[in-house]
Amino acid sequence: MPVNRKKVAALIFALLATAAVVGTAAASHEGTPGVTKKQIVIGGTFPFTGPASLYKTIPAAEAAYYAYVNAKGGVYHRKIKDITLDDQYDPSQTPAKTKQLVEQDHVFAIVGSLGTAPVLSTWNYLNQRKIPQVLVATGDAYWGQCVHKALKLCGGKAKPWTMGWQPDYPGEAKVYAKYILKKKPGAKIGVLYQNDSYGKNYLNGLKTGLGSHQNQIVDAESYNLGDSAQVIAAHEVAMRTHGADTFVIFATPQATIFALVDRTAIGWSPLTLVNNVSANRVFQLAAGQNGADLNGIISSQYTASATTQASYKGVKLAKKIIDATGNQQLQQSLALGDANIMYGLASAWTFVDGLKHAGKHLTRASLMKSLRHLNESKKNTNPFIYPGMSVKTSNKRTFPMEQLKLIKWSGGAGGDWHAFGTIYKGIH
Amino acid sequence: MRGRIAALVSLAVVAAVLCVLPFLISDYNLSLAARVGVFFIAVLGLDILTGYTGQISIGHGAFMAIGGYTTAVMSRDHHTNLVVTMLVAFAICFVVGFLVGLPALRLSGAYLALVTFALAVSVPLLPLKWSSFLGGRDGVQTSHEVSNLWLYVVAWAASAILFVLAWLILRGRVGRAFRAVRDSEIAAVASGIELPVYKTLAFGISAAYAGVAGSLFVLANNGFAAPDEFAIVLSLQILIGAAVAGLGSLWGVLAGAAFVGLLPSVSSSVPVIGSAHGQDVVFGAAVILVMLVLPDGFAGLLARIRRLARA
Amino acid sequence: MVTAATSRIEGLRNGAAVPVVSLVLIACATGLLVGSLRSATFAQLTVQGLALGAVYGILALALVLVYRATRVINFAQGELAMATTYIAYQLIQWGLSYWEAFAATLAIALVLGTVLELTLIRPVLHRSAIAAVIVTVGLFVLIDGIVNWIWGGDFKSMPSPFGTKIYHVGGVSISRLYIGMFVVVIIAALLVWVLFRFTKLGLGMRAAALRPAEAALVGVRVDWMLAVGWGLAALLGAVAGLMAEPSQFFLEPTLMQPILVYAFAAAVLGGLDSPAGALIGGLAIGVSLNLVVQYVPAISSELQEPFAFAVIIGVLLLKPSGLFGHREVRRV
Repeated sequence: MPVNRKKVAALIFALLATAAVVGTAAASHEGTPGVTKKQIVIGGTFPFTGPASLYKTIPAAEAAYYAYVNAKGGVYHRKIKDITLDDQYDPSQTPAKTKQLVEQDHVFAIVGSLGTAPVLSTWNYLNQRKIPQVLVATGDAYWGQCVHKALKLCGGKAKPWTMGWQPDYPGEAKVYAKYILKKKPGAKIGVLYQNDSYGKNYLNGLKTGLGSHQNQIVDAESYNLGDSAQVIAAHEVAMRTHGADTFVIFATPQATIFALVDRTAIGWSPLTLVNNVSANRVFQLAAGQNGADLNGIISSQYTASATTQASYKGVKLAKKIIDATGNQQLQQSLALGDANIMYGLASAWTFVDGLKHAGKHLTRASLMKSLRHLNESKKNTNPFIYPGMSVKTSNKRTFPMEQLKLIKWSGGAGGDWHAFGTIYKGIH
Repeated sequence: MRGRIAALVSLAVVAAVLCVLPFLISDYNLSLAARVGVFFIAVLGLDILTGYTGQISIGHGAFMAIGGYTTAVMSRDHHTNLVVTMLVAFAICFVVGFLVGLPALRLSGAYLALVTFALAVSVPLLPLKWSSFLGGRDGVQTSHEVSNLWLYVVAWAASAILFVLAWLILRGRVGRAFRAVRDSEIAAVASGIELPVYKTLAFGISAAYAGVAGSLFVLANNGFAAPDEFAIVLSLQILIGAAVAGLGSLWGVLAGAAFVGLLPSVSSSVPVIGSAHGQDVVFGAAVILVMLVLPDGFAGLLARIRRLARA
Repeated sequence: MVTAATSRIEGLRNGAAVPVVSLVLIACATGLLVGSLRSATFAQLTVQGLALGAVYGILALALVLVYRATRVINFAQGELAMATTYIAYQLIQWGLSYWEAFAATLAIALVLGTVLELTLIRPVLHRSAIAAVIVTVGLFVLIDGIVNWIWGGDFKSMPSPFGTKIYHVGGVSISRLYIGMFVVVIIAALLVWVLFRFTKLGLGMRAAALRPAEAALVGVRVDWMLAVGWGLAALLGAVAGLMAEPSQFFLEPTLMQPILVYAFAAAVLGGLDSPAGALIGGLAIGVSLNLVVQYVPAISSELQEPFAFAVIIGVLLLKPSGLFGHREVRRV
């Protein structure tokens, strides 16, 4: 008996000692968290695994860009360290991972986190602590609407520390609505949308864009993330039964690929529009390999195309940066036209642009001020964005990108997206 | 007498450490310690069911989901005091557990495992169906968040209360009836024990514990309740925690809870066990080893050490 | 001697139940045929349901084989099936053709299942039912972790075994994939039937499962028979995984998780000790899931797994031995 008690006491002592050491090691830093003379530490949550892992080349591209910038000396001699954590696109995992970044890794800012639901599950936490949550990889309108206003959809409080980047989803949906009404006036529209805030925002945007023609939506079917290809097929069968001759897909990549393959598999050939987050040559090639008939599907674009714009200086720079990583898979993906890579490079470019204009004395407030007064046009154009488009923010302009170009697929299973028409402006 | 003193000393030591810990460790590590408290309650609850009455459940994640959503929804809609929501979760889950226990009466061993497995898979999908009320994949957020200290204090206070409650239940007539049920149902019936009552009672109590654990689990996750939080892996982890814990030992339950609660929080910079998948390998391997080598879990290990020390 | 005894006992137990159930099934099949002829949508969903149901059925058959042999419900059957599919993926990456990898994977699965039974399940078999369940739960988590660790949790592509051609019959589109899935499963099931009915090994396995003591007396190596039972189940699981993957166009670690739940429902519906029941149960679950979600508005696609749960609990409460099973569900 006495032997045991001693053992127990020793164990407890060891535990306490360890705890004390761990505790002091995690003590808070002086000054701005995450910023030292030599380094800026940022963090973000991304779907490296799980149902949205087809997006994993985005953080890889961002890392490649920061490596490129660091190789040239960094921003004001500070090198960028980006800690990316996997939240599997699951809003219930994002809070823990974000907490880890903030409270354990003491990041300066949360940059580029991917997913509407994941960002929504952490924006309260970050705004309360006045931590920048910027250039989030989601196009929900909230990021522009909630900057100054305490609307109900903003959870009753303004979110000045949260900022988007890409063209907003409702704006994109409105462009599609205009296109449908022009191209196919009496269209009977079937919509497949993801059953969460991301999908619902898209659907509402489409309805707003259709205006008085809203009733042309004959069937709106929601699907759940992770649904099998057969469940998606059953939704399409239902739409066809309702008489739909136009098909709008507001879905993440896996479901979009299912939808495109199933569409052909059930022998249905409606006019099909795909949201741009799933319009990536790599995804469409995968659909084509599995039998999808891709010709004529419509989407939109705001980054430069690595395949159809190969001679554009931004694309050449992209190739140079990705080649420098030595990552074969990434190089191959870019060569196939992976739009995610261009997206990642473009978004990282904007962040560095923001850092540069935030000044040598870098604080969270100075970063936000800089990002809220972006002017990426003319001499300061973002090289990875579609040629002719700009990224601008101001006190009034809370949506950094308001331009889109329509694209159409041609060339069959091995084809590509080809841009057509004008650049739509002021989509928000 | 010696056993009694040893037990009281154990309790005192644990209590002392718990009281002192907040002053010694960082705020982030406090949230981890709170997490261990959450799993302590869940593992304890499952221990009561499986360890004492021999009914297996691979579905305790479902009861945690019900408890967690109860807290989140009540807080979101009525701004109810969070501790009150935990009491409500306890009550609701007791009823649900009892109801699940009723058909469970007719099922034995593997079949009960199957049904509880299917339950664990099905319940978290329900918020996707009733997404307007239960938030769908976007989840439900409590009206306000709690600090890590609050979480720590409440989790361990609840653990202490529920531990004492379990001790009271198990040492009395109910506990003896539970053990009789586990050891031989025929003998139990022969000695006049009303099988159905005690078996369903055990289910209810066990589920109620899981419900409270679920409430705290949601609060520990920024007050956010979402379907994916309660995926089947959670139920499997609680079972693993209970198997590692073994039966009838406070230290066992602590060990099991610490194992399941802390492993996922190991920093991603640590090789192997820092990744979610390395952790799954460790969990799976650990429980298999325990079943093969140490079937009575940590509690059995301690008992063996005690016997050796006495010899 | 063993043959006569076992088949007589099985015959006695069958009693009057089978004819009634068979009539019901024939009625359902007729209903499906009529519905398909009247509505292209109905036909489309039925075809889809039969193809998926075949996969549920073959995994259910694996579960039944394990249960018959060792009285254990293998919760890791789905993850094992998924892991063997990843092995096939890796073999293809290393240069094998699809069907070469298919065959090699089945052989590997056979060995893997046998080894698992011998090393992990055998030691705990004599203990409580709970012990073996916990080991399979541990296997679930372990295998899931290993696969994610080695191959990662993202999407992998495998070549399509049956191509992408689609046949149009009436208003119904039937992809070659669905036909292939169905045919492969039927062939696998038939081969298993032949094994059990006409080979000495199969006879030994049946004897070891039904009457282990008597079988040992006549020289059957009962221990080995049980292990081979697990190996065969793993092999069938590999077939399930390899047929499930092309239906989802990608390979990723959660591939078999929903399918496991449907396979459980199929096995319970058919009777946990009835191989034929497992297959028929699988088809029934596959078809009814598709039709119910389409035609019963209250049951949307989110409720597919809860539907399977309802089937499980319903069958276990109303007719615990399932449609074709014999065994008692409770010991006391």
